[in-house]
Amino acid sequence: MVVNSYQFWIFFAAVLLPYYTVLRRNSKGQNIWLLVTSYFFYGYANWKSLPLLIAVTIIFYLLGIGIEKQNERNTGKARLLMISGLVLGIGVLFYFKYLGVLIPGATPLLNVIGISFFTFKLLGYVVDTYLGKMSAVRNIIDFGAYVAFFPTILSGPIDRPGEFIPQLERNRNADWDGIAEGFRRVVWGLFLKLCIADRIKAYPDAVFGNVGYHNTTSIILAAILYAIEMYADFAGYSEMAIGVGRIMGFKVRENFLRPFFAQNVSEYWRRWHMSLTSWITDYVYMPLNVAFRGWGKWGLYLATSINVILIGIWHGAQWGYLLFGIWHSLFLILAAALEKNRKTFEKKHKLKGKWYYKTPRRVVTFIIVACGLVIFRTESLSDLTAIVSQCGKGFGPIFTNGLLEIGTLGLFSILLLFFKEMKDENGWSIHFLHSQKTWLRLASMAILFAYVIFAGELKGSSFIYFQF
Amino acid sequence: MERNEVLARVQDIFRDVLDDDEIVLSDATTADDIDEWDSLSHIQLIVAIEKAFKVKFTSKEILSWKNIGELIDCLMTRTA
Repeated sequence: MVVNSYQFWIFFAAVLLPYYTVLRRNSKGQNIWLLVTSYFFYGYANWKSLPLLIAVTIIFYLLGIGIEKQNERNTGKARLLMISGLVLGIGVLFYFKYLGVLIPGATPLLNVIGISFFTFKLLGYVVDTYLGKMSAVRNIIDFGAYVAFFPTILSGPIDRPGEFIPQLERNRNADWDGIAEGFRRVVWGLFLKLCIADRIKAYPDAVFGNVGYHNTTSIILAAILYAIEMYADFAGYSEMAIGVGRIMGFKVRENFLRPFFAQNVSEYWRRWHMSLTSWITDYVYMPLNVAFRGWGKWGLYLATSINVILIGIWHGAQWGYLLFGIWHSLFLILAAALEKNRKTFEKKHKLKGKWYYKTPRRVVTFIIVACGLVIFRTESLSDLTAIVSQCGKGFGPIFTNGLLEIGTLGLFSILLLFFKEMKDENGWSIHFLHSQKTWLRLASMAILFAYVIFAGELKGSSFIYFQF
Repeated sequence: MERNEVLARVQDIFRDVLDDDEIVLSDATTADDIDEWDSLSHIQLIVAIEKAFKVKFTSKEILSWKNIGELIDCLMTRTA
């Protein structure tokens, strides 16, 4: 049941009806309903995975309480409990996601969807409780609803327990501004997914699917379009998940902040799949950095590499994901090594904020990122060497077959996205969807929605990130 | 050493490491309040504080601080 399907909206209407009528003054009732409907949603996608989700939820709920009790007694057992939680969570993730790599030919008993997302929620919870950053959750319904929250269970954003669970404890009355904002974000997400990602994907698919027939010109265009497709697909999904959450009265974590405006790779990672990168920063990068702090710069470089390679292989056990991590780690280390010199240079020449300094940096970052995504896309080393050797054969006439499918509407949609992002990045005060004038707000929303119906690919395809 | 003396010394370390003489710390200060204080400089700050006060924090202590106040409390127990 994908968010861009009719079934989802029938399901969602059925969830909302009691949620905002008979249950509206009763947060406990709302949470029970949320848990039941979340389990239904998850079970509908794959009912065989549901017992595993429920089992790990109960175990981590008990671990949280145990860790808090042992922390109060200061016995040192808290650390043991936290570590057993980590071993269990990582073990479950490894068994269901990476078994085939560790033991060639072995397949896990079942394919558990959303596992990379819900195990991260659980792991973060035991660490936060251990560090005393939050109290253990006493209400198992609230905890279960946090882990299984249906708008985000399949593909994120990865919410933090300390931010999300307090929202469950509050009553959610129908807040019309929040609901309207939720719908705006859903429609914007639909636009990104249907008018951009699904419309332009034919071109990179055609070129990279048969790379041996294409020249460098077509490969460059395919790489640019693929970067835009990945962004529109995943940001489109995230907008819809955040919007659906907002309609139900929740503030879900943001996932993207105009990543193609980043001026270096390190900034790019603070703007792309932010709920994952900030999770890895807090729970892997910082602990590693703290542990390696005696090793100076080298400790930092080592922590950075481990961090970004983990982000790569988090997506799955494929060469492309590992190489993608290594590719990014090279540029992150370079950025860290040169940071002091860069800052001195910027200060000396008063470059900060100047467009002629920002633009070339953004272009170079985009090229690095787009190359990284081409690496990400490859399934094997031979795929990658085929692309590189094909590029060595030189430029030529552009391959136009898939371009006709993208057409004017695809190009117009990309320009529309570019305009919105320019406006948001530079803080221009031109507003459409967020105008103070009600008529302009409503008209913009209606026009955007009509445009999605008119220009979108309405075949209801799935999202790239569902496979992770 | 008095608590406010510790805070003043930590403030000097922050000014030195982050190269900004206008930084003023209080118990409630967090990384959100100081631009230059990011995950990279965080580690440099901790190393500098450990050196200046001749202490060695545990990972759990470092990771659990929510603001400057908690860092100072931890330093007070170590230097007492």
